[in-house]
Amino acid sequence: MYCVAARESPLPTDHPAVHPAEGLERIEHGPLVALASRVPLAEFGEGALRRNLNDFEWLERVARAHEHVLERALERVTIVPLRLCTIYTDEAGVRRMLEQERNELEAALAQLQGRQEWGVKLLVDRDALEAAARNRSDELAAEEKEVEASSAGGAYMRQRRLERRVREVADRLMEELAEDVHARLQDWADDAVLNAPQNRDLSGHQGEMVLNGAYLIEATKVAGLRELVDRLQERHRALGANIELTGPWPPYNFVSPAASAEGATPR
Amino acid sequence: MNRAVAQREVALVDLVDRLLGGGVVIAGDITLSVADVDLVYVSLRALVSSVATAEEKNILPAMGDAL
Repeated sequence: MYCVAARESPLPTDHPAVHPAEGLERIEHGPLVALASRVPLAEFGEGALRRNLNDFEWLERVARAHEHVLERALERVTIVPLRLCTIYTDEAGVRRMLEQERNELEAALAQLQGRQEWGVKLLVDRDALEAAARNRSDELAAEEKEVEASSAGGAYMRQRRLERRVREVADRLMEELAEDVHARLQDWADDAVLNAPQNRDLSGHQGEMVLNGAYLIEATKVAGLRELVDRLQERHRALGANIELTGPWPPYNFVSPAASAEGATPR
Repeated sequence: MNRAVAQREVALVDLVDRLLGGGVVIAGDITLSVADVDLVYVSLRALVSSVATAEEKNILPAMGDAL
């Protein structure tokens, strides 16, 4: 299954599905419709799924196919996205779920109506930040002078102390920076979720990721969001800040907690 | 890289974070447990670091050269 929407929604059924041999299907039940496609159990059954998810190429192919379907749907309608590989053995199972989760799904759809999820990552270049810390702090400047004036033996200890102080000031600047960016975005958004910074091995990002947030924005305010991000980027450039904006995403981070909590226990 | 292109080319890590870490979690007949999701991250990390090692040893062409 890919997503759930209001029954009358024009969900795409002409787009390639996760399994290339099968097409997308609408499964209507009550006021809701689910978008689904058939997959072979040999590939998506419990044991096979666990194996395949750890196969990088398989995961990438399935994840991108799933995302493309959602992106296409998102162009036209409000959707509640489902987690990758939510699988039922028959159509009756999907209908049962739509029946059981009806209230939560309808509430989530109402909340997401006319809104978009955008991702914002704040990356900081540590060297630039420490340089800014030195420039901004009179205290550090005074200490630096002392280091230069000291005798050889004393200079070493003072230098060590100075470096520690620079790191402390830089850490504080970084915290203030992340708080400022998040606070401004939050003012602009209807809802916000902070996620853990990504693992550098996986993302290959440059610098330190000090903010990894998702923001739920009214569709009409997206141009303003871009301007805001540009302004924040400009304002904090001297601190080595780089802000990455991605979206619009299917609202993975903003689906109703009630629906998420319901039945979250794996079988 | 211009902005429009950058936005269309979704990074796999962003995708996996959202597709596996977010979305409505409903117990399907077959569904992922938290442990399964964690395993995906563990194996992704292992895979990425083995690719990086291979690159260092010049076994594989370096990624991202074309960017």
